[in-house]
Amino acid sequence: MSDQKRGIIKHIHKLISKKEISCMELTKKYLDEIDKSLLNAYITVCEEDALEQAKKIDEKVGAGEEIDILAGVPMTLKDVISTAGIETTCASKMLMGYKPIYDATAWKTLKDKGAVLLGKTNMDEFAMGSSCENSCIGGSKNPHNTDYVTGGSSGGGAAAVAGNIAAYALGSDTGGSVRQPASFCGIVGLKPTYGSVSRYGLIAYGSGFDQIGVLAQTAEDASIIFDSIAGYDPMDSTSSPKYTPNSYESLSGDIKGLKMGIPKEYYDGVDEEVRKLIEEAMKVYESMGVKIEYFSLPEVKYTLPVYYILVCAEAASNLARFDGVRYGHRTEHYKDVNEMMCKTRSEGFGAEVKRRILLGNYVLSSGYYDAYYKKAQNIRKLITSAFYKAFREYDVLLTPTSPVTAFPMNKNYGSPQEVYLADICTVPVNTVGIPGISVPCGFDSKGLPVGMQILGDRFSESKILNVAHRYEIETQYENNKCVDMGVRL
Amino acid sequence: MISREEVLNIANLSKLYLDESEIEDARKEMDGMINFAKKIDKIDVDFKDLPEFNSISNAFHEDEIKESYPQNKILESVDGGKDGYFYIKKFN
Amino acid sequence: MRYDLVVGLETHVELNTKTKIFCNCANKFGSEPNTNCCPICLGHPGTLPKLNEKVVNFAIRAGLALNCEVNLISKMDRKNYVYPDLPKAYQISQFYDPICKNGYIELDSGKKIRINHIHMEEDAAKLVYKGGDTYVDYNRGGVPLLEVVTEPDISSSDEAKEYLEKLQMIMRYIGVSDCKMQEGSIKCDVNVSVKPEGSDKLGIRTEIKNMNSITFMAKAIDYERERHIEIIENGGKIMQQTLRYLPETNSTESMRSKEDAQDYRYFRDPDLVDIVLTKEQINEIRNSLPELPGERFKKYVNEFGISENDAVLLVKYKNVSDYFESAIEGLKNVKTVSNFIIGQIFRSLETEAEKEEFKILTAPNQINELAKLIESGKLNMNLAKKALIKMLESGKPVTEFVSESDMKGISREEMKKMCEEAVKANENAVKDYLSGKEKALKALLGSVMKQTRGRGNAQEIEEILKGIIVK
Repeated sequence: MSDQKRGIIKHIHKLISKKEISCMELTKKYLDEIDKSLLNAYITVCEEDALEQAKKIDEKVGAGEEIDILAGVPMTLKDVISTAGIETTCASKMLMGYKPIYDATAWKTLKDKGAVLLGKTNMDEFAMGSSCENSCIGGSKNPHNTDYVTGGSSGGGAAAVAGNIAAYALGSDTGGSVRQPASFCGIVGLKPTYGSVSRYGLIAYGSGFDQIGVLAQTAEDASIIFDSIAGYDPMDSTSSPKYTPNSYESLSGDIKGLKMGIPKEYYDGVDEEVRKLIEEAMKVYESMGVKIEYFSLPEVKYTLPVYYILVCAEAASNLARFDGVRYGHRTEHYKDVNEMMCKTRSEGFGAEVKRRILLGNYVLSSGYYDAYYKKAQNIRKLITSAFYKAFREYDVLLTPTSPVTAFPMNKNYGSPQEVYLADICTVPVNTVGIPGISVPCGFDSKGLPVGMQILGDRFSESKILNVAHRYEIETQYENNKCVDMGVRL
Repeated sequence: MISREEVLNIANLSKLYLDESEIEDARKEMDGMINFAKKIDKIDVDFKDLPEFNSISNAFHEDEIKESYPQNKILESVDGGKDGYFYIKKFN
Repeated sequence: MRYDLVVGLETHVELNTKTKIFCNCANKFGSEPNTNCCPICLGHPGTLPKLNEKVVNFAIRAGLALNCEVNLISKMDRKNYVYPDLPKAYQISQFYDPICKNGYIELDSGKKIRINHIHMEEDAAKLVYKGGDTYVDYNRGGVPLLEVVTEPDISSSDEAKEYLEKLQMIMRYIGVSDCKMQEGSIKCDVNVSVKPEGSDKLGIRTEIKNMNSITFMAKAIDYERERHIEIIENGGKIMQQTLRYLPETNSTESMRSKEDAQDYRYFRDPDLVDIVLTKEQINEIRNSLPELPGERFKKYVNEFGISENDAVLLVKYKNVSDYFESAIEGLKNVKTVSNFIIGQIFRSLETEAEKEEFKILTAPNQINELAKLIESGKLNMNLAKKALIKMLESGKPVTEFVSESDMKGISREEMKKMCEEAVKANENAVKDYLSGKEKALKALLGSVMKQTRGRGNAQEIEEILKGIIVK
């Protein structure tokens, strides 16, 4: 085992299909490590289902059948992705014990390919947060330093992949929830184009922003997973009917002559150490023949308020269905139906969720709709148009993923708006619906990972994955440092 | 500053009970939101011809029946319901 | 003081698609509770709606039939309110960009009741209350509805009735709904206000929710009108509120509202995409529309010479009118057929529902055959009517019930001979007739008719008899 994460999916595929290790054995290894792990990455571990699936894969291999590249690869899903018969809690008291009766499309696709689901990973409640600490089981710990947060909201998945207790994870990214924890935990996080991966079965936070994303060791791994889960799904009206993903094939493409734009506004208020590491990455790209150019994208400044207005509004509406009538938590005592619903919701939701529901209903309520919601929707178009313009000029954009590295656990935060500021680098991608990928580009003086973010035009996953992949190869994966824990293959 | 009544109205729309400190916090946060949103207040452009972030249209399902879920499956999440129904018992 | 009544209607028409509006569960009435449900129509976390293509088609059909403009781009919005009958805690509807706008229904008087817009939306589930407990059946949740919203153009309960009947009729004609009030497949909310006669300023309105009977709707409007006037006359002020009509006492009462403050926080549903139509598509639908009841009514009265009263009965149900249209093919005098339908056939059907369904054993071409025999003089009306009754009972063609000789008819010579014989054989009757007893002639007529086995024409025979006797 090397000290760097050089990708694990092809490796596992080779081990299993050449019978160098049985899938059963491998799965047990992971389950053992999960059991021992102190990262608090998992909410639910699916031991029985995982072993059963592993057995099936071994039987196939034994029978000489060819297996999919993802068959037998032990992985996890963020606990916001619906799994039939397996508890799906959104890290909320509201959904403790809730077992969906249907599978999310992305999960069903992987299951059909033979993926081994180890369990459901930790997150900020209903994906609302950037630390993973807003979870009803407490936050996950950063494998690089367990006193630090994983970031969020897909923190459990990021911890699991970085801590080697899952080969890869699916998360969800509404405003950075895949990319930011990936950057905090030193792994790759891909947020695909809106409409490229089906949202069916992804429990909604901001429906117009949510996308299922990939947490993986390398861009190559991310590419393999993305190609497997992306594509048209008739169950999702917003799913793009024309899209056939083939990013893996383009990973060998040369990036010489590629134009990379550096939007200045993204670098305002960014930690010096972070900035320097990204500038070094630019030099790496320049050495590979990439043209680097700074430019101004002032519309980015409007993104945070636009994002929070729209996302809270959608969340308030999306989360109104948790009323105790059909599933999930129901309060013990009440005098009528209305009180049952109010008590259920007041008990079931945590503080951050309540805060966003209130804000959302506030901006939608009569008298404020025009000033907030409608205005924000229009400015969303303005931002979108600015990005589209930028992509006529540049192939990709390069920005930090987060202005800072991971912060200590149980930190005292300022006002919600101050906390939201930390999302400044990630929310524009969701606001515009474009893809973005966070790639490890070094470590700060505390030894915490730093991520850089590569953005591309809509449906340009092939391009940004290749740009990320080329960098990893050029730097010999030196920034994908492997943490000494979990399953080492 | 947003009034207490307004907060209570929003809480009512949200079907949430708030205690005193939560009401105070919510007032502050909504005020914060207003200030936060002020950034975009003054922008005045013609939005008409600007692109939507997702340009997909006309996604329909065909009018052909697919089998529904069995009643007992549907009522699993409420411990089987009562007489085939979802059921909310009255308390006094 | 005299007052003008101002009424606007919001009518919910349940569409008879096979499936629900956002999933493929059956749109079916009367099933066991919670058996036409899936994670989507139950609003399970993570599920997404997908619009039924047929609902869009039906909405356009309805819009065109109601003289509306069809919007080339329309969108779905969320209407947010929390209630156990609403699985997602919002109803997907159209608020900002509905599919059709600016139409009208023309009343018999020529007055046009303007339609502001038509939008598509989903129905809520059914709540059952037993002993204070609440039971929810989500079968109806997600059933597709059209809401047809008028301008406040209606000025009497009669006009409201006529409007609703016409709307019902048109929806049935274009095949988008069976509009069964008893099953709740058409319901309306009624907005009522009064203002001093001739005044331009509208009064404060009250809204009566969920009327599912035309009769009660008319009564409720009349009741509200009187109530408003009484309040105003006594110097009071009308309170804007939502009411429920109580048929037992013919009165209204304030409804406990679903939320204390009705603030639906409408916004565009991000889970659904724009509905973009082309003019060609709309024209295609326009060309596929059947003849509408209004057009048929005019044709029956003006071209066919059918009385207005009969024409109303013929067009009331599409099945009847379609039957009529197909039974009159190639006929010069279509009144025979309309008389058969309104007479013998309707008499064989007991309820309005049966008339509406119009499932009879006799096929339209069989009636056509019958009418043609009459038209060509081969069969007289008497025999035809008798045969028709048997046809309706058996479903067999007319030829089963009339013989070759029945259809040969009978010549005037033969009839004359029979009359002469009858006069000879009934001298007493002849005397009686001559002394002024009109009835006596009827007896003679009866005996001749019997001899012709019904083939003779009674009028003709009477004429011949009179001629013989007077000579």
